[in-house]
Amino acid sequence: MTTLLELKEKLVHFYGKNEVYITPIIRFLLAFASFLMINANIGYMERISTMPIALLLALVCSVLPIGATVLAGSVLILIDLYALSLEVCLVGLLLFVLIYFLYFRFSPKHEYNIILTPLCFGVHIPYLIPVATGLLKEMYSLFSLICGTVLFFFLDGVKQNQAALGAAEEAEEGTSKIVVALNQLVGNREMYLVLGIMVAAAIIVYLIRRMSIEHAWTVAIISGILFQAIGLIAGYMLLGIAGKTVEVLIGCVISCAVAFVLQFVFFNLDYSRTERLQFEDDEYYYYVKAVPKAIVSGTDKKVTRFGGKEKGERMTRKRFAEEMDIDEDLLD
Amino acid sequence: MVNEERLRCMIKMAEFDSQDGKDCKPMMQYARKDYVSLQLLKSFVGGSIAFFLLGLLWALYSMEELMEKINSLDILQILVTTAVLYVIFMIIYLAATYIIFHVKYTNGRRKVKQYYVSLKKINTMYTREERLRVNGNKDWE
Repeated sequence: MTTLLELKEKLVHFYGKNEVYITPIIRFLLAFASFLMINANIGYMERISTMPIALLLALVCSVLPIGATVLAGSVLILIDLYALSLEVCLVGLLLFVLIYFLYFRFSPKHEYNIILTPLCFGVHIPYLIPVATGLLKEMYSLFSLICGTVLFFFLDGVKQNQAALGAAEEAEEGTSKIVVALNQLVGNREMYLVLGIMVAAAIIVYLIRRMSIEHAWTVAIISGILFQAIGLIAGYMLLGIAGKTVEVLIGCVISCAVAFVLQFVFFNLDYSRTERLQFEDDEYYYYVKAVPKAIVSGTDKKVTRFGGKEKGERMTRKRFAEEMDIDEDLLD
Repeated sequence: MVNEERLRCMIKMAEFDSQDGKDCKPMMQYARKDYVSLQLLKSFVGGSIAFFLLGLLWALYSMEELMEKINSLDILQILVTTAVLYVIFMIIYLAATYIIFHVKYTNGRRKVKQYYVSLKKINTMYTREERLRVNGNKDWE
């Protein structure tokens, strides 16, 4: 355990020192992964769904705030949808505008969540997101979770119905493309199920994490994951969707492991960022680089008592004087 | 010579400026009531647009059904239902706005207060230094 704690200490120190480079690298990786996933799944516009373009865009996004990645991702998605069909693109646009009005107005700082949610869905460990949200964020970050989930199910639905949506002519007796596209949102019972379970799980994790019990984080992670596993399996049974049990179980186990890594990295620890500040007073210009000190977590502090365990056994001046049989004042 | 004590306060303030300064600016300018009211107003506009879009989506979704029944539609009832839904939607949306920005204001106000405490401290230091300088006391540093 001590080795791990030391490792953690080094990690914090390393991050504090090299924050200037690490943050853009993280942003780059996130953006690159998102763009690749968009290309791989709904890359209908072949001209822009190529590796070099994704790489270039990700590089640009790495030096911009994370909001740029969200914007670039949305534009990519819309272009791809446009290549598939105009109607789907329109529905996608409406969805984005709705998400903007209903969500980004309140907490524009949770863009990471909205990117990470579809990404985690893509790699089949979405169960991590409610747990991580409950552990690391505030209650209202839930909305980002909801938006990300809705977005994923919409795009997934589009992908699954691409034959119907991409057909040049609308089938005469079939339903129109807009209805098919909207059906991915309105008539998607699986989405409602997953959404409900995830929101409930995030709330459970958040509430338990805030409780003043021992190992609150561990209890929160386990209950969150268990709730999702049981809820989803039961829900899929109710809805009659077969063949998901194994996927849910394996996803939950992996999510649980990742959640424990998160707990190890973030629990009790402040990764406050290195600050580069400039200011002046009457006499000087100050160019300050403030690097946060690595904070020793409470767990590896040891209190060793010398000279007896009980308070009564401790040596006081009075006791010492009594023992030595001298006047207490002499000890001054 | 650089006054370290003062520097520490200034670093704290500069941090505030660069991080939360912009977000907390309204908390310095407006009273709580005005700030929340302004946000509610913005939410009213945003919420109305969002509701309209939702309605549009629904209309697109059930276009065929609507077209089939276009002659037998009870316009009045549709209007009433829409109005009721709109009111419910807006109440939820505005209530969320109210709570969220209420909390934001409280947090922001706390940060602003800390900022002013630092400011006051620095000011006191300056006044003291100035006084000592005027008095001709050379060992004030």
